Amino acid sequence: MSVFKRTVKNEFWYVLFLMPGFCLFALALLVPLGMGIRYSFTDWDGVSQSLRYIGWGNYKNALTDDDLWMALINTFKYAIILTVVVNVLSLLFALLLDSYLKFRNVFRTVFFLPSVISIVLSGFIWSYNYSTGLPKLFSFFGFDNVTSPLGNPSYALFGVIVIAVWQGIGAPMIIYIAGLQGIPQEIVESAKIDGAGTSKTLWHIVLPLLAPSFTINMVLTLTGALKVFDLVFVTTHGGPAFATEVMSTYIYSSSFASYKGGYGMALSMIFFVVLVVVTLIQLSVFRRREVEV
Amino acid sequence: MNKRVYVSICLAMLMLLLAACGGNNGAPAATEEAGNKGAEESEATQAPVEEKPVTISFMHFKSDVTDGVAKIVEQFENENPNIKVEVQPVKYDDYYTLIKTKLAGGDIIDVFTLNSGGQAKLFSDGGYIMDLTGQPFLSSFDESVLKGQATDGKNFVMPINGGPIAVFYNKKIFKDLGLEIPKTYDALLEAANQIKAAGKTPFALGWKDGWTLGMWATRDLPSLTALEEGQTDFFQKLEVGEAKFADNPAVKVTIERAKKLFELGNKDQLGVDYNGAVDLFSKGEVGMMYMGTWPLLDIEKKNPDFYNNDLGYFPYPFSNDPALNKLEFNPDASLAVASNTPHKEAALKFMAFMASKQGGDAWVNNIKSLSYVKGSTTSIAPAMDELQPYFDQGLTYDSQIYFANTTLDWSTQFSQQLQKYFFGKTTPDKIIAEMDDWIAKNHK
Repeated sequence: MSVFKRTVKNEFWYVLFLMPGFCLFALALLVPLGMGIRYSFTDWDGVSQSLRYIGWGNYKNALTDDDLWMALINTFKYAIILTVVVNVLSLLFALLLDSYLKFRNVFRTVFFLPSVISIVLSGFIWSYNYSTGLPKLFSFFGFDNVTSPLGNPSYALFGVIVIAVWQGIGAPMIIYIAGLQGIPQEIVESAKIDGAGTSKTLWHIVLPLLAPSFTINMVLTLTGALKVFDLVFVTTHGGPAFATEVMSTYIYSSSFASYKGGYGMALSMIFFVVLVVVTLIQLSVFRRREVEV
Repeated sequence: MNKRVYVSICLAMLMLLLAACGGNNGAPAATEEAGNKGAEESEATQAPVEEKPVTISFMHFKSDVTDGVAKIVEQFENENPNIKVEVQPVKYDDYYTLIKTKLAGGDIIDVFTLNSGGQAKLFSDGGYIMDLTGQPFLSSFDESVLKGQATDGKNFVMPINGGPIAVFYNKKIFKDLGLEIPKTYDALLEAANQIKAAGKTPFALGWKDGWTLGMWATRDLPSLTALEEGQTDFFQKLEVGEAKFADNPAVKVTIERAKKLFELGNKDQLGVDYNGAVDLFSKGEVGMMYMGTWPLLDIEKKNPDFYNNDLGYFPYPFSNDPALNKLEFNPDASLAVASNTPHKEAALKFMAFMASKQGGDAWVNNIKSLSYVKGSTTSIAPAMDELQPYFDQGLTYDSQIYFANTTLDWSTQFSQQLQKYFFGKTTPDKIIAEMDDWIAKNHK
């Protein structure tokens, strides 16, 4: 008993300092989550003050909803392409900007700048670029039939991905640069003494030691990309012809435009589970590949 | 000893945090009390001796004419120095989402714009808006207008402005090519084809914005359905799942027409938005544009010469029977008062101003739309004079009444399906089948 008392006394301080953070977390996340779960079992229309419990009805509908599958496929298509492209590009930039380049600080700033602009703003800038800027530029060089990719269902998703890449490269690049600078120089040097060339050093020394940065970047970009809403919303609204309808815009339009608040909540819950599963799998896969120095 | 100090500091901080959170809730309650007290006092003493100044919030979806609305509100504030109006313009595409979340979250917006019909019904069913039936200011509107905007027989919204939705055309292009104003749908297509053959763009389409395509589809389809096919209750039946798109031959016609429009439109139809389309049209390179009166201000600003001399306006001929092709005239914004407003009196004063002759004229002059207030002026632009005969002879109709009091939003889904068809990714039969699937999942 006295042991318990002593523990409480000793740990009490930590708990006390945790309280504000925990309260915020509970208020901003746990409480809404609980309310959301409740709503997902109702036929609430999103506006009225009355609701009716319908059990698993929303979830049953969701599983047979073709639009949900379409939105999920679009989301994963977007997220996977984006994750691969962003990571490859930012790793390349990091390797380049970590080497002894004149003006490398200037270049680091330049490549990081797009990340500073808000997503909504870059969405507007690029919509304008696509619909007015680029066609004018191309017609100057004699190509008159350039149109905005955002206006064509076959290319719209790629149009959005280009914006996301442009915007999303900065932060992972910084993490990679930090990771590269954390690699002990003596290991690299001894590899060189052993006769390893640049490509061998890169493949056998640098990349394995960069694995922690790799893990965090993959997880961050993938989960960020899966949850994308703002960029799609300002550039295409999920259109044209559903070509860019991702999960979050689909949830938004079913809860607010189609007045199916309850159904939207059920979709959110399903998506939440999907996200958790994806993140867990990803973390366990990448953690296994990390090496300790 | 130090520990005690820390604990008290921590507690003090926590209290501050809680106080800051709670502070917001306290303030409106206080002003509410003050407002009520003020109202009671003025009633008791009859003569309103220096009423306490109140601030009411007014949210509206006429964000494309934000300045114009601000001027109207300014006039009201000059008349009522004790009432300040906080205006919040919101883009139409986001308007209903925003206001729904605000109201559901318990925020108070004293006065806001609504569309009569489905939206008004949704808000009155939710208990968010005040019943205005019998308010004295409603007498400045025609009985028929009030009836048209009533929800289940009661007036929850007050009509403010409305306007024709028709086809702007470039008189110069029409004259150069020797084209007449088309009176039938086939003539419209013929004119468009000739404009295209002459190397100009027949239609300016800003279909990147969802509502521009939706606006056309939600007028062409009901017009055809009700007036050509005679299925006047089709959309009411659709709402409850008693009718299907497959039973309505007009759907296929609208789908094919949309594709025709798309092909006859400007380049990059789904990449250019409403503003872009108005821009194109103002430059004088485009033959026609299907639109309400909203871009008039913009066109005047961008190309005053074109606006004064070459801009024309004709009713959209949805049918091949010229007798059916009347002028589409729709209510635009209506006003509603929140049922939970603490400033009921000020809000009603605001409504009364908007219903007065002065308020009606303010809407006409400042945002170039027509007012429903009896006797307000109608001359808003040179192009509008062409429509005068239709007004004089009462040759107007409102296709929106065919889905008044329905809340099923099939138009977004339909527009997306149409966009698929533009790029050859689906067929009209498939669209109809998918729409019916969607209706089956979503009807009440």
